[in-house]
Amino acid sequence: MHYLYPLFKWCDGSWIGETIRGSKYIFPTIEAIHLLGLTVLLGIMVIVSLRLFGFILQHESTRDLATDLRPFTWCSIITMLVTGYLLFASEALKCYDSPSFRFKMVCLILALIFQVTVYHKATTSDTVDKSPGFARLTAILALMLWFGVGLGGRAIGFL
Amino acid sequence: MSILDMCQWLQDTQFGTSLRESIWMFPIVEGTHVLALSLSVGTLVWMDLRLTGTFMKSQPMSKVSGSVLPWTLFGFTIMTITGIMLFWCQAVKAYNSIFFKMKIAMLVLAAVNAIAYHATIYLKMDEWDKVIPPPARARFAGWCSIVLWIGIIVCGRTMAYNF
Repeated sequence: MHYLYPLFKWCDGSWIGETIRGSKYIFPTIEAIHLLGLTVLLGIMVIVSLRLFGFILQHESTRDLATDLRPFTWCSIITMLVTGYLLFASEALKCYDSPSFRFKMVCLILALIFQVTVYHKATTSDTVDKSPGFARLTAILALMLWFGVGLGGRAIGFL
Repeated sequence: MSILDMCQWLQDTQFGTSLRESIWMFPIVEGTHVLALSLSVGTLVWMDLRLTGTFMKSQPMSKVSGSVLPWTLFGFTIMTITGIMLFWCQAVKAYNSIFFKMKIAMLVLAAVNAIAYHATIYLKMDEWDKVIPPPARARFAGWCSIVLWIGIIVCGRTMAYNF
């Protein structure tokens, strides 16, 4: 990983990082927005997964539900990425040494890839309602990946 | 015995002390409290948005709340248990935090809002189940809930800081 060190060091020393570190209020504010984004995004994942399992809203197709939720999904993902980068920039060197951060980034990259491939396919075609196995597998993997991101994020504060 | 004394006593109990000083339990309890937000507020917000008439308009209110509410309540059960544990082990810090007091005040208001909704317009849901926009009283309850829960989450997170 040492070839990434200069990148972390640059982020840490950037004016964004310096500014956030220099203020008592900016970091907590961004963190609160990051947490609200988490609530919305993981909430969506819970709702869509419960629908994929067929536990809730059975009278509405997965596709219709996911279509209603899609703008909220991407708004919350973009909010998380922007606020996440800002938080990261203010403590990039701490993150470099954090196993939790590495775990989080691996989960995040996998979750984003999963989101635009398998999850996208499962929530834009009607086939998913006829193929419960595929639907359930998608739900389990989406939950594991996104909750992995959340778990890793919370753990940065501890180890 | 003042409230502060009671808080001190609570966090000095064996349970409070061992949870506070534990290596794994405290992070697990706190992590659960944070991630269970997805189940509690993360699911409630969609019912609230339906109440305000801005989301899932094609679905009857009764179907949305019937589907979502059991999972929301499950989430809130986890939040309550982990929240009490977190308070137990750092009661004095919580007592001294303005954000904790604001959080509790807003929790009470959210409870009042929920009870008031269920005691009034909820009972007449047959009349507005498929009506968009829902009656003003229902929309009001939905927006109140959304605003209060945003405040509760922000105050909960900010409790970690001493300004």
